[in-house]
Amino acid sequence: MRFFRTPSSRPRTGRGATSRALAPFATVTALAAGLCALAGCAPASTSSSASGPITIGMSLPLTGSAADVAKAGYQGYELWASQVNAAGGLLGRQVKLDVLDDGMDPNQTTTDYTRLISQDHVNLLLGTFSSLLNAPASAVAARNQMLYVEPSGGDASLFQRGFTDLFFAQPGTTTSLPDQFLSWFSSMPASKRPTTAAYLTQDDPSASPAISVFVSKLQAMGVKTVYDQTYDPTTSNFDSIAAAVVHAQPQMIIQGSVTDDGAQFARSLEKLNYSPKILFQTNSPTDATYPSAIGASNTNGIFTAEAWSATAKYPGNAAFVAAYTKMFGTAPTEDAANSYTAGQVLQTAVDSVGNLDQKALAAWLHAHSVSTIVGPLTWDSTGDPQGSLMLAQWQYDTLQVVDPQTAATTKNVIFPKPAWSS
Amino acid sequence: MTSTTSFMTSPPNPAPRAAAARGDGRLAAFTRRVWIPTAVLALVAVPMVSANLYYQNMLIMTFLLAIGASGWNIMGGYAGYISLGNSAFIGLGGYTTGILAEKWSLSPFIGCLAGGLVCALAAALLSLVTRRTRGMYFVIVTFAALQLLEIVTTAWSGLTGGSQGLAMPVPTWSLAYQDWPFYYPLLALLIATVAASWWVRRSKLGLGLFAIRDDEDKAAGLGLRVALYKMIAFVLGGLFLGVAGGIYAYYTSFLNSAAVFDIVTSMLIVLCALLGGRGTLWGPVLGAFIIAPISNFTSTNLGGADAGPIRLLLFGGLLGAVALFLPRGVLPAITGRLRHPAGPARVTEGVEPPVAEPAETAARDRTHPTGAADVLVARGLGKSFGGLRAVDGVDLSVGRGRITGLIGPNGSGKTTLFNLIDGTVATREGAVTLAGRKLERAGRASRAHAGLARTYQLPRLFPSMTVLENIVIGERAFSLARLWARRTSMAEHERACAVLDELGLAAYAHESPAALSYGQRKLVELAQVLWLDPALVMLDEPAAGISPALCARLAAMVRALPPLGTGVLVVEHDFEFISDLCQDVYVMAQGGVIAHGSVAEISADPAVVDAYLGDTVVSQPTGSET
Amino acid sequence: MTELLQALIFGALVGGVYALMSTGLTLAFGVMKVVNMAQGAFLIASSYLCYALWQHFGIDPIVAALIVMVPMGLLGLVCYKLVIARLERIDPGLTIVATFALAMVAEALLALAWGPNEVGTTPSYFNQAFHISSLVIPRAQLYAFLLAAAVTIALQLIVKRTWLGHAITAASQNPEGARLIGIEPSRVGAQVFAIAAGSTAFGGAALSFLYQFTPDTQDAWLGITLSVVILGGLGSMPGAFAAGLLLGLAESLTTTYISVRWSAAVPTVLILLVLTLRPQGLLTRATRQDAAS
Repeated sequence: MRFFRTPSSRPRTGRGATSRALAPFATVTALAAGLCALAGCAPASTSSSASGPITIGMSLPLTGSAADVAKAGYQGYELWASQVNAAGGLLGRQVKLDVLDDGMDPNQTTTDYTRLISQDHVNLLLGTFSSLLNAPASAVAARNQMLYVEPSGGDASLFQRGFTDLFFAQPGTTTSLPDQFLSWFSSMPASKRPTTAAYLTQDDPSASPAISVFVSKLQAMGVKTVYDQTYDPTTSNFDSIAAAVVHAQPQMIIQGSVTDDGAQFARSLEKLNYSPKILFQTNSPTDATYPSAIGASNTNGIFTAEAWSATAKYPGNAAFVAAYTKMFGTAPTEDAANSYTAGQVLQTAVDSVGNLDQKALAAWLHAHSVSTIVGPLTWDSTGDPQGSLMLAQWQYDTLQVVDPQTAATTKNVIFPKPAWSS
Repeated sequence: MTSTTSFMTSPPNPAPRAAAARGDGRLAAFTRRVWIPTAVLALVAVPMVSANLYYQNMLIMTFLLAIGASGWNIMGGYAGYISLGNSAFIGLGGYTTGILAEKWSLSPFIGCLAGGLVCALAAALLSLVTRRTRGMYFVIVTFAALQLLEIVTTAWSGLTGGSQGLAMPVPTWSLAYQDWPFYYPLLALLIATVAASWWVRRSKLGLGLFAIRDDEDKAAGLGLRVALYKMIAFVLGGLFLGVAGGIYAYYTSFLNSAAVFDIVTSMLIVLCALLGGRGTLWGPVLGAFIIAPISNFTSTNLGGADAGPIRLLLFGGLLGAVALFLPRGVLPAITGRLRHPAGPARVTEGVEPPVAEPAETAARDRTHPTGAADVLVARGLGKSFGGLRAVDGVDLSVGRGRITGLIGPNGSGKTTLFNLIDGTVATREGAVTLAGRKLERAGRASRAHAGLARTYQLPRLFPSMTVLENIVIGERAFSLARLWARRTSMAEHERACAVLDELGLAAYAHESPAALSYGQRKLVELAQVLWLDPALVMLDEPAAGISPALCARLAAMVRALPPLGTGVLVVEHDFEFISDLCQDVYVMAQGGVIAHGSVAEISADPAVVDAYLGDTVVSQPTGSET
Repeated sequence: MTELLQALIFGALVGGVYALMSTGLTLAFGVMKVVNMAQGAFLIASSYLCYALWQHFGIDPIVAALIVMVPMGLLGLVCYKLVIARLERIDPGLTIVATFALAMVAEALLALAWGPNEVGTTPSYFNQAFHISSLVIPRAQLYAFLLAAAVTIALQLIVKRTWLGHAITAASQNPEGARLIGIEPSRVGAQVFAIAAGSTAFGGAALSFLYQFTPDTQDAWLGITLSVVILGGLGSMPGAFAAGLLLGLAESLTTTYISVRWSAAVPTVLILLVLTLRPQGLLTRATRQDAAS
């Protein structure tokens, strides 16, 4: 819980978003009628022998502010596990998920992963959502020398600690987010390009590093910076900020948003009736509620970057979407796709290596490429993936992939952005 | 001479109740000697006996909570200042350690000590805030301070890593040692915190803190330097948690300002203390040992995507149930049952048999003025409350060894005048001199040290301590060394018992003042202020609402004062009481003095008769000099 | 100049929103001295109810608020009788803990009923604005501001001009005295608390069309509303309104002229300054503390 701040956007635990509202209620507690005996609290461990099921441990923020993200992510894992089991399992053994809830509290994450490793003796680990939680979890995994594939935590600092068994199951981290946009931008003839830009970002590792890259690269291309500000994660009212941005009359606006701050800022622009030639927002435009939050017809022309798209033509992607929709009754979100990808990475490594030796698995992943629903993934020695995110744009109520061409769902790019419709 | 003078000497009769107190002491001693060491040994043994990291981790979190709760208890339980900012100490300790580790490669085990120091400073600062804000406002200040700290930490990214967080160095010791280097220091810190808490409880500092919690202004009026007491309490509360925060940061390996400066952790700490028993010694620790495993248990056994709200429901419901049905906490509920299956709770916790001290420091030196003729001189005192002129240019003096009365209709400003003299109400108008010392700028404690003492219309005693402790708590002179001493020394104990004997209240020596009747409380309050050996005693309607016999006794106590050189200023409505005792009387009406003189003079004064006495009052000046 | 005017307009409007959210708490905390930690939860519950009416029947949130007032009032009544009245007798300090627990339970129930996803109402005016020369006045914020004024005036009239208002003021200051003259504090308290809870319906409606929300949005609003009440001084409805405006203006001006990054610190810094320098709030007088009570 936080007090004394303007109401926050719910934090997104996508590519490395930090949480702002730690779920109090997972850790605040309660009473027992008597003292809970330490020994009595832990249920029997589920150690698995060499022929029983393979247990895969994970601690997810199932309670609290990121619960909806974690729920989708968990379902992605479940789908993956059920498909693996239906096909005969891993190494001939059925896969069982051992899931714990950390309520978005990194301390609890530490405890959970420690328990999974040392008490439940899980065979494999899969990662959690948000850099905030993956940071301590990856440290626990590293100390116990276990492979750690995480679906959603793209903060660059995660990969600077010298862990050799850490892998990020997305095409790129936050710093590579601008790549596809920049390449499209530079492909435009110089006379057509916007000449001024405003930058606005939430102070969050899943957004601000990307915006820094935008600023430096675009400035190098001759785009003048007319506004460059960072806002606190709890900012919810963007009218004043938008007014200041509009005052600078930028032809291009690039926002490092994380959750609903993107929609809120867009709403403010609508109220001010200011539509720049290019509007790029990180993260937010892929939220399911984004179109209705800003008015469905207003999404037209807004750019964003995606790690995954339901329509991207990577192998297995369409099948994934169909299977997920069938199993859960709703279309998959990016979080579900991320966790499914993590599962795919793990599965490929285990199948290729032929056993559960953590070091061998890590070595294999460092040396090979894995084909996933987000495309082929390769990693450097720190586990930082070598690819980059796709450039996507809302076009007539559909989020289309524009670049790279291997994944593109359309050849069309809307430029300049049309005016807001009221 | 009446026998009430004998409370100034010290006959060697121990009060009969002390024996009973020792009986309860045995229970406490048994706990101390058997259960606690066993528990400590068990905790020490856990990592050596079981290689299971799960338990080590759970205990590490439990220790942190227990350290936090115990430290909080010193501030919130003993002194009564509820803070919701405890995670700030963890955060400050953690970030100090992390920054030192990052910038200067200082081992976190050393850096955490710096973290403790930073927290001690922050806690001292916080105690200064309490000069202006108390109660609910103080709670909110701690909230806001915690919030601000988080914002500053996140925004000052150059120092702290900002929203990207701060990575702690990776542990360098072999995995064979698991988490021992975190576990044992935290256990040691917990022992240190509890030891500090225990020491505070049995010392004069602790007595003072309980007094502050009960009635801070009264405590100040008895000469306790409350600001200093609070500062020490706060510093103790924050110091250990700061060091623990540094170690805990090392343990979690990654600092994120939102996670660290988290109101939830603070609430959790408060909950541990409330649950276990606020103000008790072991309550907070017990609370932590209940809550941490439960938190762990429920979080790791209710897996599944839909379980979140259900857990929330469960916790919220249980929390509400605690607040509604078990407000004092578990420990008092249990110990209450054990001690008195059918009786009321007694305030004997913390009462230990007094110990004879080798050097009796507090020689009751009398600093009564020998030179000045008037012990109290007030000139031109005035005070307005908004448009109301409560006291208007009052000149008043009380002679050495004289009993002076102050009468007047209700609302004439008598109590306000008292408040101006003793410092409860501040004013810039006028001057007050006591035994030659100017008091206008002095705080309440300073005025007590100068020799001022005052009783109240409704007697104010401290319910958290025994009647005996109530009597000995006053401090005529401040000495830092005295804080460290036991709650009551042998000499003090004996003397106070003698006093109570004189008052016929020896049976209540180890009871809470709540057990006394109104009249008895008045007597005790008078004895309490006389303990200060004051130069001036101000009595606010001492005879109100008590029986004639008690009244006479009170009067006798008052009459014993002039021979000692003590001046007395009495406010009363009972004109007989006044005329029996007072040599001279001031009459106030509508904020000003309308008459001054002997009893005979003022009762003949038409203005006085008009304003207050009425013609039916027959005053019999009896020439009450003794 | 336009920029300054615009910043002031935005500041005042968002200040009105803050004031609107705080009305229930001002009444509960200010007049009744009950620290209602469930204020945020009441707000969000109202928001969800308005959202439900919007989603199923297309009812405009502001109109919906008039309907939602009733169940919220009932909820307040029940909460007061079951929890708060009981605690005020035992230990007022524990009211904080108990209402905190209430907030947790409320959040859980909301999450069970609606799930954790972000929702919001989008009536036609949610992204529209009035344009007066070069100044922009967002319609949604304006409506919220007007609602704030209306609700504040209504509550102030209730407190100052009706028997109930006088009764609760008396009962809060001196419960025993009130009983002696025939006012039963718990009954009167329940009614006023019900009014306070009912008034959050308007705040909740405004919240629903101004922002997207989830069950745990309540946390942040509790902090803001506490700030407003403290700044304005307990017991002062107009004071809380003014305090809300002050907060909004301070934030807006800081964002526009000083630093976007640090504008989040404004409410907190103001709180700390006020509490340490002028604890009685900016708009109330210090009362005589030494009088025997």
